[in-house]
Amino acid sequence: MKTYKTRSTVAYYLFIDILMGIVLVMCLTPFLYIIATSLSSPEAIINGKVFIIPRGLNTQAYRQIFSYPNFFHAYGNTIFYTVFGTMIALCMTTLFAYPLSKTWLKGNKLVMKLVIFSMFFSGGLIPNYLLISSLHLTNTRWAILLPFCINQFNLILLINFFKSIPSDIEEAAIIDGLGYGGILLRIVLPLSGAGLATIALYTAVFFWNDWFNSLIYLKSTQFPVMLFLRNIVNGTTMLGGEGGSADKGALSLSIKSAVILVSTLPIIMIYPFVQRFFVKGVMVGSVKG
Amino acid sequence: MREQHTKQGKLYLQRYWPLYAMMALPLAYFIVFKYLPMFGNVLAFRRYRPGMGPWGTEWVGLRYFQRFFQDPAFWSAFRNTLFLSLLNLVINFPIPIAFAILLNEVRNLHYKKLVQTVSYMPRFVSTVVVIAIISDLLSPSTGVLNHFFADLSGKDPVYYMNEPGYFRRIYVLLDTWQYTGWTAIIYLAAITAIPQELYEAATIDGAGHWQQIWYVTIPEILPTIMIMLIMNVGRLLSLGFEKVLLMYTPANSGVSDILDTLVYRTGLANQNYSYATAMGLFTGVIGIMLVASSNALSRKLTGDSIY
Repeated sequence: MKTYKTRSTVAYYLFIDILMGIVLVMCLTPFLYIIATSLSSPEAIINGKVFIIPRGLNTQAYRQIFSYPNFFHAYGNTIFYTVFGTMIALCMTTLFAYPLSKTWLKGNKLVMKLVIFSMFFSGGLIPNYLLISSLHLTNTRWAILLPFCINQFNLILLINFFKSIPSDIEEAAIIDGLGYGGILLRIVLPLSGAGLATIALYTAVFFWNDWFNSLIYLKSTQFPVMLFLRNIVNGTTMLGGEGGSADKGALSLSIKSAVILVSTLPIIMIYPFVQRFFVKGVMVGSVKG
Repeated sequence: MREQHTKQGKLYLQRYWPLYAMMALPLAYFIVFKYLPMFGNVLAFRRYRPGMGPWGTEWVGLRYFQRFFQDPAFWSAFRNTLFLSLLNLVINFPIPIAFAILLNEVRNLHYKKLVQTVSYMPRFVSTVVVIAIISDLLSPSTGVLNHFFADLSGKDPVYYMNEPGYFRRIYVLLDTWQYTGWTAIIYLAAITAIPQELYEAATIDGAGHWQQIWYVTIPEILPTIMIMLIMNVGRLLSLGFEKVLLMYTPANSGVSDILDTLVYRTGLANQNYSYATAMGLFTGVIGIMLVASSNALSRKLTGDSIY
């Protein structure tokens, strides 16, 4: 439609493209740096030579972490919390969202008010902590799986998604003798792939990246990989092991980078596939509550 | 009459009980995990004794509130919270708008898509990872970025993550990095909804590229901008607690101790449960007042509100 006509137009689009190029580089550089340090030799890191290109290429850091039982254990814990946490969240959110999408249902308004109020006012850290411990959930994996199984934003997103499904499909199913449970399972859910994918992604990212709740509720054998990483960063867990002491710091730096890469890659690989869904979801979730 | 009513009620239930049955478990979840802790805030007015339950033992009234009102650490955390929030708002509110507007001007659709996808990526990275990377880059011994700055200024490397003077800058820049692309989604969606005829008319009137942005794009997305601004003001007291906690060091605590970290340390590290609950409740009440008033303002100004 528009064409490159004048010199100023060319300059304008060049300026925009370069600016966006800078954004691109800024977003990617930290990851390239992590890849580079995880693959570099300790000497090159110590001399400050490594930025985005690996120097003294070697895979020692990866061999180290893959021989490190605590890392595997933490990684397994993360997968456990992410898989089961997301499954529970999807079930619970669906069970709540479907009846709440029926605005004519008696009591619907009251329940919605309860949900929305809880978005703006919450118990706060200490009452939540005391609740979890008085339910005897501390030091059990349920302390991570249960308290976060319904997120109100995700719930509203799914409610709005269910509302957008034409009601005549459901009416036809009722005439055919299908109950509400059957409608949900056989008609509504198969049509809700986009909504479910979006909240599954958000929930999975939440569980995958969480470390704070694990820190306050769990014991160290139950720690997820992000808490494992945090403990490396703040020096609670020492890495590196053998070798000269000067080497040790640099090797632990590349080990840390390897841990970061291995623990961040799965999430980063998944989101581009769900992107077209969540763009819609963000709109629903943050403007209309 | 009443009989008919109960009969109707019976019919209603007979027809719709599956919907209520579906709700039962999630509703119970809400009551236990969202509303019980809310009522647990009563602990702010009661004395906590270990092993005597989460509701405390005896009523002490406003004692804990009086205590933290006189506590300089509380007011320091209050100031730090507001300061950091405002700085973050001033810098990181306009940037995603600018980014969305400029990204929308990109003509090569593949390039646009690529920039967009990559710009979301930081949002999916854990705060632990973000802090780990920046600590590495800024490390005084091996940090590439630190060496670069040192060479540039000709001075010795600075321990940036430990220096109080750099805490706020680093926090805000990390937020820029992590959330610009993500926040821009909403503005991009608003820009996409602008009717193309407006731009055509502007072109006919002789408006250049920048004039089109200034006179068409920005006025058209102004309602979205207003809503987002008001929502952000409503959230002034809630900062990225986990990020601050990860960046917190005894050396920078003078600027990095915010309300949330103070509650965390007082409550969970020092086990002053009632005292910490009182501070948390105070913050929560101010927070909900901010949300309510900014929401009312939004309704008045734009006719649109978040609830």
